[in-house]
This record gives sequence, structure tokens and C-alpha cells, in this order.
Amino acid sequence: MLRVPLFLFCVFFAVGLQAVEVAESLVRIEATSQEPNYKAPWSPGEVSSGVGAGFIVQGDRILTNAHVVSNASFLTVNKEGDPKPYAAKVLYVAHDCDLALLSVDRAEFFNGTTALELGDIPAIESMVSVYGYPIGGKRLSVTRGIVSRIDFQTYSHSGMDSHLTIQIDAAINPGNSGGPVMQKGKVVGVAFQGYSGDVAQNVGYMIPTPVVKRFFKDVEDGKYDRYVDLSLTFDNLFNPAARKALGLPADDVGVQVGTVYGGGPSDGIIKAGDVLMGIDGLRIASDGTIKLDGESVPLTEVVERKFKGESATLDILREGSSLQVKIPLRDPWPFALQSKAYDEKPQFVVFGGLVFQPVDKNFMDAYQPGNLRLDYLFDFFVEDGIYRDRPQLVVLSNILADAVNAYAKDFLFAVVDEINGQKIHRISDVASAFAKSSNYYVIQMLGIGRPLVLERKAVEEARSRILQRYGVTSEQYLKK
Amino acid sequence: MIRQFVFLLLLTPLLAIAEPKSPINHPYAAAEPSPSPVEKTESPDQESRKVAESSILRVNSTNQAYDFFQPWLKKNPVSRRGVGALVQGGCVLVTAELVMNSNFVELEKATTAEKSSATVERVDYDCNLALLRPNDPGFLEGMKPLTLEKSLRVGNEATVLQLEPNGEIAQTIGQITTISVGSYPLENLGLLLYKLRVPLQQRDGSFTLPAVSDGRLVGLLMRFDARSQSAELISTPVIRHFLDSPAKARFPRMGIAFSALRDPQFRRFIGLTEPGGVYVNEVSPHGSAAEAGIKKGDVILALDGRAIDQDGNYEDPNFGRVLFTHLTHTVAQVGSELTFTIFRKGKLIKVPARLRAPDLSHVVSDAQLADQPPDYVVLGGFVFLELSRPYLQEWGNDWVNDAPKRLVYYDAFQNELPEDRGKIVILAQVLPVPETLGYESIRNLVVTQVNGRPVRSLVDLSEAAKKPLKGFHKIEFEEDPKTVFLDAASVEANQKALIERYSLPSLQRLKGKKSP
Repeated sequence: MLRVPLFLFCVFFAVGLQAVEVAESLVRIEATSQEPNYKAPWSPGEVSSGVGAGFIVQGDRILTNAHVVSNASFLTVNKEGDPKPYAAKVLYVAHDCDLALLSVDRAEFFNGTTALELGDIPAIESMVSVYGYPIGGKRLSVTRGIVSRIDFQTYSHSGMDSHLTIQIDAAINPGNSGGPVMQKGKVVGVAFQGYSGDVAQNVGYMIPTPVVKRFFKDVEDGKYDRYVDLSLTFDNLFNPAARKALGLPADDVGVQVGTVYGGGPSDGIIKAGDVLMGIDGLRIASDGTIKLDGESVPLTEVVERKFKGESATLDILREGSSLQVKIPLRDPWPFALQSKAYDEKPQFVVFGGLVFQPVDKNFMDAYQPGNLRLDYLFDFFVEDGIYRDRPQLVVLSNILADAVNAYAKDFLFAVVDEINGQKIHRISDVASAFAKSSNYYVIQMLGIGRPLVLERKAVEEARSRILQRYGVTSEQYLKK
Repeated sequence: MIRQFVFLLLLTPLLAIAEPKSPINHPYAAAEPSPSPVEKTESPDQESRKVAESSILRVNSTNQAYDFFQPWLKKNPVSRRGVGALVQGGCVLVTAELVMNSNFVELEKATTAEKSSATVERVDYDCNLALLRPNDPGFLEGMKPLTLEKSLRVGNEATVLQLEPNGEIAQTIGQITTISVGSYPLENLGLLLYKLRVPLQQRDGSFTLPAVSDGRLVGLLMRFDARSQSAELISTPVIRHFLDSPAKARFPRMGIAFSALRDPQFRRFIGLTEPGGVYVNEVSPHGSAAEAGIKKGDVILALDGRAIDQDGNYEDPNFGRVLFTHLTHTVAQVGSELTFTIFRKGKLIKVPARLRAPDLSHVVSDAQLADQPPDYVVLGGFVFLELSRPYLQEWGNDWVNDAPKRLVYYDAFQNELPEDRGKIVILAQVLPVPETLGYESIRNLVVTQVNGRPVRSLVDLSEAAKKPLKGFHKIEFEEDPKTVFLDAASVEANQKALIERYSLPSLQRLKGKKSP
């Protein structure tokens, strides 16, 4: 009975001390960014600016969210209580876990600052404080709440990756991004996303320290390699008949593999229908969880903590017999197409006023083509193995109207299959096909019987006219 | 512009079960606020009034469609009211939509309110028309059938006839704005239709309305957009074709997809110097065109000596410039012979073609399944159906975006599937029972095999389910989870319990027949 008020008192005491210390490590980040315009891919994009938070960590570096510094062309940082802005640079950025490390050119910036230390995963219901520069004022703001939930969540910055996430009920608002979440003088997380008030109340999320530590370790070699995964899906094995049919005892162990993605690290090693019994010696429960540090977490957490070049060991049951396999972990292509990309210029080719672009998430978000065939190819790009034949889907994305392309409208958002008989696998193929001189350029699209035909003479005649009229500063960009 | 960074997830949490309810598609009674009553003040068309009194009837139909999510149930009954036109042969002509899935149809005389129940004698969803015959043989005595207007031009007037609750006939004069081939509802077949600009009042019972001119039937109103005051009419040639063709005959189809040939660069590329013509993009393997030897890449220049322009139109003596498919779909009947003038690889050739009805044996996803109970199989709580457009339409008006993507794509691109694909059998939902433990949340999966046998129809599935493998039903899908198992003995033993728990009338219905 006595312990409860005592415990609360301790927390208040700790927080009181904390604010002073944290202020010495807190950084306000102002980012000027240029987001590429996918609808005019030759344009450098509109300039905008934003504010986020960050904090100083070991080695005179600043940790913040990737989304605070994405597409940034200029960054300044301010120490709390120091009016002078310093120019900063992005050292490493991890878009798949929304983290970035910054450096400041002038070393004196770090005078009088303290690097914050990383703690562990805080206990459910324990108190945490959030530091940052949210809307409502210019200066440091502190809010406090408890740890509500520890779970896997999609990181909305990439829209594709899910990692361990901690939900807290402290107010997190625009401007909190990148700020530290503190407990007992240590960082237990980085505030990064939340729900708007009309969807859910008091739901904020932070990136927990295992994810942050993994990021630090990944960049030790001087570059960021991204997360690795098994590239397979699995389903629960609760059903007694399914367990019996697969020769499993009624012990709630094992999940069944659904899809093994071609080209992924498990391709050729694991087969659909295999039962996964264990991973790195840990028993897999029939709902796909394992016990790690006393917590029940999805089995993918084991892989989450590994790096490119490492491997995972799986105990599997295949057609009644047990075997152990080793999965060497590699890059997670081809999923990249379906996650949002940053710090990249869009690829394109302009020919005869026709704009050709490869399709990715950024492209789909910008155009929202609403073309059923393109939607299919994009949605099932991985699942139906479309990437094998076409590592890039190249579409006619835009028509810069001119006499030369007056009848091309029917082909808008169609996927280019061939140009003059040459198969189009990626955007560079479009450039090389148009580079070969021919009297007619015959562009065959997927699912449309009739080709789109341009005459060389008409294209040449229209070329400078189109570039000038539409302010096209460059006719192609192919680098990735 | 200063942005503050934090990602706000604006997603609403996923609901456990989507329960889309398809609103009844009511082509006339749009939910628009009714236009202010603009009663025409022109002198009433005396001829039209006479027609109205002796040739039109109120039609009341009580319709009840099947619920494709629970195919053993019917949805709530809905009443539709419209106005039909008496035609030759003692029958009343209405739109097929008015009597689709009808349980009970009633004819009512405008002025006397005298009633007779009626039977749907013929219904054709290609052209959205149905013929009703009164069950009382003397009911139509003294009434006069309408004749069909043979020719019409843009700019002509037509009078739409509505009935007031007191039996008064309301006449609204409109003007024909377009005569063209357009998509008819239900089967999406392109047939001749008229657009009429007409300031119609919102009145009860306007699901079908006849339009007349000089005492002759001009068309049947099947859709009305209150905002633009524009009505779409089933045209008289389509009505003529329907009346003249034998019962259950479908409209003929060419089985081609074509596109306009306006682009001079493309014309030069294919070496076409003749004027006009359309380019054949696609030839469906079992259609009339394929049988006649028409090929992808052909240019159709003329049909039976009528020149076809670069947009596909010919000069019709009765209707002006109209798409040539009017000739193949409507003017011709199944079995008619037509001669195409075709430009192929630099040469002009004549290709005779005999028109065929569509070959339904190759349809993967049916466009409509009106008036028949949908087939289904329930196996140990798993509900199986064949993919069809009405199933997808259960997701509501925006089903293209709301229904499961893979199923939408199967429906949209069914012509590109391998010829032996057969029907797409789907696990539509799970009625949870002890046998389905762990599988409660799976739904809308495409079945590939059951007990090691390929499944290309519900009958295949029903047959395969008779032969479990080593005591288990093994069901395989295209999507995750790729394989599920049911204990065959347990499924068999608990059939009765399943039927009772979910009040199922039967565990399967195949080809409209309930099995014992």
C-alpha cells in the first residue's frame, strides 16, 4: 500500500530533474525541402519548410526522424536556449524506420551540450515525458503520459515497413517529431507519429530503442543497409484438423507458410506449405509469436534485429519430416516499389510530348490514375510475380498536348510493352528505343490491341516547340 | 509556408466485417431534390392523350432479389411502379428492370383503376425489355396497341406520359438531343438509344415511362438524370428487334473491339489510303467475327455496301449518323448474313459473316443473374460461390473500389484468362462452427483445388468434396492461407447442427436446384 505513492513521488522527482538536463541536449530543426513534382518530373519541385525536434547523441551527432529531413535542401539546427542557428547535414537516413542522424559543421555547436543515453523498452503503464517543438508556441514543450501498448505498427513514413512501436498517451502534435521520449533520465523512444484527434484520442507513437540501436549499429560501417526480411507470409495453425493433417501434435507450435516471394531470401529454401516450428532456436507458437526477453512478439522480430549479410536459422516441418534451414538475409527488393521514396529525383523520358515514367508509390500518389489495369499491375506487382518480367512498370503518364500527339489520349496510363519491337523492362529501355532512328516509332501498350504510332518527322518538328511551350528543361532523367 | 512535422494517420480503424448493402438502383427515382414543377403550358398533344387513354397501363411489380452474401436468403421485397405500353400481341411492354426478380406483377388501368395480375412472358436483359401478359384474358379488351415510330431525327419532339395518382395523364414534351449507340444497363451491351431533354416531374411510379409522338411509340424511358433533365430511351429499332425475335434469343454480337482511325500518322503507318474505316483491336475467340475470319489489325471500311467513317459511323436512312454496330446488333437478327469490306495488309477484301448469339459457355463472371437463385455450396461452415458481377455489386455503387481487388480484376479482365479457366469459385465467407476454428476471418479467396482436384465450377467443388483425402477436406486457394483443412468425419457428423445453427434451407444449391 505504501509503495504506490512513493513510486509516484519518485517519478515526479525524476521528471523535475530531467527537464533541465534534456534541455541541454534538445535541438530544434528547421528544414527547407524541395519535394519532387512527379507530374512535372523535370521541375526541381516546390520549396517548403518545416520544423521538427532532435536530440544530441554520442559522437556529436543529432538523432531525429527521417521525415523531418526528407528531401531537405538546407537544414539549420538550434540548441534550446541559444538563438544562433547552425547549418547541419544529413549523415545517415533510414526511411524504412523513420530515423536520421545529422552532423553540424561547426564543432562549437556541441559545447555545453550533453549526449543523451538510450534506455530499454519501458514497462507498460510507466510514466514517460515527451520533449519537442509542437504547434502552440516556439519554445520547448514537455508533455507527459504513460506507456499504453507495445506492438508492431506500420511506419507511415514509408507506408510499407512495420517495426516494434510503443504507443503512449502523452499529447504528440505536429512539431514533436524527432523529439526524445524520456524516462528516468534516459531516452526510451523517439516521438514520430500519431492519430489526428478526430480518429483516436491520446494515441501517439514512438520509435523504441531496439529500433534506434539497430540503426546505430547498421551505420557503424559508414552506410545504411536497410532492414532485411524473410519475404514470406505465414498463417496461424489453430485448426485441429489442419494440425492433424500436417502431422502436428496438439501443442500449439508452428505456423504454415503461405507465400514465398520469388527473388526473396527464402525463395528456393522454404516452400509454400512448410510449417515453421522454430527460429534461431526459439519456439514459434501457432499464432506466429515467439517469446523474446519475456515478451510475446511476432517471430519477425528475430529477423528485425539482424543485418544484411547475416542469416536466420529456421526449423521446419516439410511433408512430415523435420529439417533445419539457413536463410541468408539480403535486400528486400522488389517491395521498394510499393513504399514511399524520398531524396530521389523521379525518372522520366519525354518524347514527342509524351511523358513516360516508371510507376512507384510516389507516382501513384501524385497521379492517382484510377486505371484498373495499372492498379492491378501495381497492387499485385510482388504477389503475382509481375516484377520478374518487368522490374519497372513504365507508363505513358502525361501528354504535353501538341499536333504530334493529338490522338494519344486513349493510351494515357497504359503500360508500355514494346517500342519498335524492343521489350520495355525499365525506363532506360524507353530512352534507348527512342534513341534508335526509325521512320515510325511504334509503341505497343499492354492490353490495347492497336499501337500508338509517331512519325519521326513529326516528332523532330515538334521537339523544340514542345520543350519551350511547356518549360521542359530536360528530356530525360534515368539515374536511380 | 511552415509545416510542422508529425505524421498523422488519418486512417479509420478497420472494421471487423464489412457489411456493404447495395442500394437498389433506381434509374428514375433519383435521390435528387425534385425539380420545381414546371408544367408545360403548350396545348396538350391531343393525339397523345387519345393514345394514353387507350394504350397505356400502370404496372406494379413486387421484386425480391437474392442476397449474394447469404445466397440462401432473399433481400427485402421492393415495389416498383411504372407505366407500360400496350403492343401488338396482347402484351404490355416495360423495361426489364421494372420486373427484375419479380414475385408479383399487376396491371392497372389508368382511369378505372381496374386491375389484373400478370405474367412476365418474356424478359431480355440485353435490351432491358420485358413483355407482360395479363392473367385475365379479357382485361385488355377495348384497348388499342401502339405502333412503333420508324424514323427519328435529332431535334424531333416526343411526349413522355406519366400517370397522376387520380388517373390523370400528365404529358411532358421533350426534344431528342442525341441518337447514338450507347451502353444499356444490366448487360452493358451497346445498342441504339435516344437522349431526350425533358423537364419531367418527380412522380410516383415512373420506373418505366413510354414516350410517344403522333400516336406512335417512340421509346421507353429507362434512365433519367434530374439535374440535367436528360432522359435515356430504349429506341424503337431495339424494341422492334426484341418483338420480332424468338423467345430467349439473345441479341447478336460481333465479338470485336475496335477503335477510331482518326490519327493520320497511324493511317499512314498502316498504309491506308481509303477514307474512313475502324481498326480491329481485339477479336474474341468464339464470336461471329472470329468465325468469319476477321482478324486483329483489320480495318473495317464498309458493311453491306454502307461506308463506315473513321469513327465507325454510317449514314442510316432513318436515324442519321449512327455507329455501325447498330446494324450488327439490332437491325440484323441471329443468323443474318452480312458482308464486311476489309482492308488487310494493303489489300481490300470482302468477308461474309453470319451473326451469332454470344457464346455464354465461356463467360467467367456473369454480368447479371436476375430471376434465378444463385448457386452455392456450404461445406463445414465454408460458403462457396461462383464469382459474378451481382456478387461484386453487393459492395454498393462503388464496388469497383470497395470489393476485393483480385475479384474485381478477375471480373474486369476475364476475357484475358486462359480458355479453360472455367468459373472462379470463391470462398465467400465462413459461418463459424467448431470445424472452422482458426479460419473465422478468411473470406473472398479464390479456390484452386479441393481434395487434389482442380475446381472450375461449383459442381467440380461439390464432386471433389465427396472424396476427402485421408479423412480431411483439403482446400487450396490462390491467396493466403494457401491451404486449409477440415475434418471430413466431423463435417459430415455436424451437418445437421450447421443447418440448425444458421437456419440454412439446404447445404447446397446447384443450377438452381436444391439438393436433398
